[in-house]
Amino acid sequence: MKKVLLTALLAALPSAGAATLVFGANGDPVSLEPGNITDGISILVQRQIYDTLVDFKEGTTDLTPGLATSWKSNANATQWTFTLRPGVRFHDGTPMNADAVVFNVSRWWDPKHPYGFRDQGRTFEIVGELLGGYKGDATAVIKNIVKVGDTTVRFDLNKPSSVFPNVMAAGYFGIASPTAIRKDGAKYGTPASRPVGTGPFIFQAWRTGDRVTLLPNKLYWGEKAKVDQLVIRAIKDPSQRLNELKAGTIDFTNDLTPEALKSVQADRNLVAVKRPSFNVGFVSLNNRNQYLKNDKVRQAISMAINKDAIVEAFWPGLGISNASFVPPVLAWANSKNVPADYKFDPQAAKKMLADAGYPNGLSIDLWYMPVSRPYFPSPKPIAEAIAADLSAIGIKVNLKTEDWAKYLEDRNKEPGFDMYMIGWTGDYGDPDNFYSAYYGATASDDINWNPPQLQRLLEQGRAAVSQADKAKVYAQIHEITYGANYRIPVVHSQPLAAARTYVKGWVPSPLGSEPFNTISVVGKR
Amino acid sequence: MGSYLIRRVLRTLLVIVGISVVVFAFVRSIPGDPATALLGERATPQASAALREQLGLNKPWFINYKDPARLLDAQFPKYVGQLVQGDLGSGIKSNIPVRDELAARFPATAELAVSALLFALIIGLPAGIVAALRRNSVWDNLATTISLVGVSMPIFWLGLLLAYFFGVRLGWLPPSARLGNDTVLEPLTGFYVLDAILRGQPAAAWDAVRHLILPAIALGSIPLAIIARITRSSLLEVLGQDYVRTARAKGLAGRTVTLKHALRNALLPVVTVIGLQAGALLGGAVLTETIFSWPGLGSWVYDAISQRDYPVIQGGVIFAALVVSVVNLIVDLSYAALDPRIQYR
Repeated sequence: MKKVLLTALLAALPSAGAATLVFGANGDPVSLEPGNITDGISILVQRQIYDTLVDFKEGTTDLTPGLATSWKSNANATQWTFTLRPGVRFHDGTPMNADAVVFNVSRWWDPKHPYGFRDQGRTFEIVGELLGGYKGDATAVIKNIVKVGDTTVRFDLNKPSSVFPNVMAAGYFGIASPTAIRKDGAKYGTPASRPVGTGPFIFQAWRTGDRVTLLPNKLYWGEKAKVDQLVIRAIKDPSQRLNELKAGTIDFTNDLTPEALKSVQADRNLVAVKRPSFNVGFVSLNNRNQYLKNDKVRQAISMAINKDAIVEAFWPGLGISNASFVPPVLAWANSKNVPADYKFDPQAAKKMLADAGYPNGLSIDLWYMPVSRPYFPSPKPIAEAIAADLSAIGIKVNLKTEDWAKYLEDRNKEPGFDMYMIGWTGDYGDPDNFYSAYYGATASDDINWNPPQLQRLLEQGRAAVSQADKAKVYAQIHEITYGANYRIPVVHSQPLAAARTYVKGWVPSPLGSEPFNTISVVGKR
Repeated sequence: MGSYLIRRVLRTLLVIVGISVVVFAFVRSIPGDPATALLGERATPQASAALREQLGLNKPWFINYKDPARLLDAQFPKYVGQLVQGDLGSGIKSNIPVRDELAARFPATAELAVSALLFALIIGLPAGIVAALRRNSVWDNLATTISLVGVSMPIFWLGLLLAYFFGVRLGWLPPSARLGNDTVLEPLTGFYVLDAILRGQPAAAWDAVRHLILPAIALGSIPLAIIARITRSSLLEVLGQDYVRTARAKGLAGRTVTLKHALRNALLPVVTVIGLQAGALLGGAVLTETIFSWPGLGSWVYDAISQRDYPVIQGGVIFAALVVSVVNLIVDLSYAALDPRIQYR
């Protein structure tokens, strides 16, 4: 009797309110200020509050109108003109117009902007990363921002860029209300401020370490939200995200570990949701190493690693392995002359190693990161699998790791790591975003191999306006990098997401986050 | 008593000053810096260097020895300048003032730590007493076994186990967080159970209690074991002493002797342990809060360490040192109340 009463008491749930949609995020946003973030959770929350000038079609990386209804460039892509959507207002009633757009972009790009708050620790480093630098820098993409009319903004560029609209579509670059920024000053974006955008949800509150609550924007210019409240909860531990989902205390979540797939599929109340892959996990071989600078040794290594088996073991049903550095959605940038997959042939690899002058094998270090990344959710066992494949052809592998921040630093410090695991998740749908991170003028200097020819081709790729021209350039880049065997792609993974069965209309974007205005929770109890 | 207090406060201040210098140098000597941690895969040498400069992290730590004219153009003097004004700086990337965040998060950690300690005392004290009074019985062995298990079980493992079993399998309690999705509570003190009672919201208070149970058990498991063992051994020792025998010989009832005379003296070491556990609870809170998405100091500092967020780590550590000092002062003062032989001058 007592026991029954206790169970009943403990199970007494708080009274259910209106339709609340609850998302389990893998942590807290860092900031809700656009242009000044680099982490995925901040992007995810900002996607709900803000709109970007250009948007992505549901579930793809193709461009579609956002706050701009159209955009066009001059013949050589050094000038981009955006026509803005008329009659849109920010949540605080401020009109969204050319002045507002110029105000936002200038804050990010102009170190002297009165509302950039750089003296108070603002860095806007993503602008340096994706747009080459800031006002006055020789490397900066943007030369000037011009208000042409109330609904027209023109960007003059220092060099041709056919991907400029793609960059402006990235989730970092939401357009915020100038009124709100002026009002909150250097506090803007912190929990003590009120972030204001034009997006489908209106910011209500942010309790750090716990949750961000948002309300539907009844005056949204696009598809209006279908719930009465959106709660984005910070749940760092992936097993806890799964627990909460099973308990029904959250409705949907992402970034579950690949091992969770079975558990999700076994639960009647849950559906597994796969994000289209937009990443690459790869192994880098360092040209400074005496063995690895030998072409044949690198080729032997690429033939010895059984990538399909590794993907099958660590990403069952959640990853693909191919011979491309860019994810499948960008397959148009691949060369027809490169085989779809790497050859796996331990016998040939062994012979190749002997031809290279190492019939008795050799010994190298393989470094793996100590943290879980979307492309390598469990780096250590993956590294062990690679080491086992290599030892089969006589290469002795010493596994090494160190703290993540130090790892990122040391890989670029002479002489760097012999062989190490790393990866990339895309910001927008263009191959340049992948290749330029690891090849070309601004890339990591981790393998001491970055031929001038590649740098030239990458510049051509950014300047190419037509899709056909682009595809030609990237096919060449693909051939060169594939043939060189310095970076060997292992996987394009699909981060596992999951939802309760009543969650309808959720189309995960390959880019890692999407606005939740399309989601309904009819039948949620 | 008054002069003793003044001495203790001065000593605490000295400790805080020492700790702030040490932690300042310590966080900066950890390999890997905020610029790299922030940029992640984007961290090329150029990008990291540019960000370091923007954040003022390329300045010397303590003294600008390169330029005697601007000797104090270094990181520590700037930090001290802020500290003197009661400003602990802001999170490197979030720009959230450390002081505000401490104020918002400390109540969450305190509520959890106090609940964990209560849980440890409610179970640990009786277990220790029973184990001592019924030495070598089944109860004694059971208590010893439980305390051994409690001490040796990793918090994060126990936490996940509890969350899965009670949160998912049985569905009795929420797996994490401080309040349910539909509970609306305007914080007052930051102690949610208390806030809900003060605001006259019994449903919210119950919701807060339900959310507290699992993390409190996880965090309280180690102190529980320690309290049970100390209570047992200390009570055994006291029971063997002359004055207890005298009391018994004078014909006092056995229960009066154990509970009134022996237990009071046996509790002294237990109080000491509670003081020592204050630090351990703050340390354990790091794991417990991370597992249970508990928005307290622990999970905040944990994130800050992986992000190398210097001001947050410094603020968190300095504050934790202050809390531990104050708790130990209270413990020392409570000795006098428990044991008339102890006097502070």
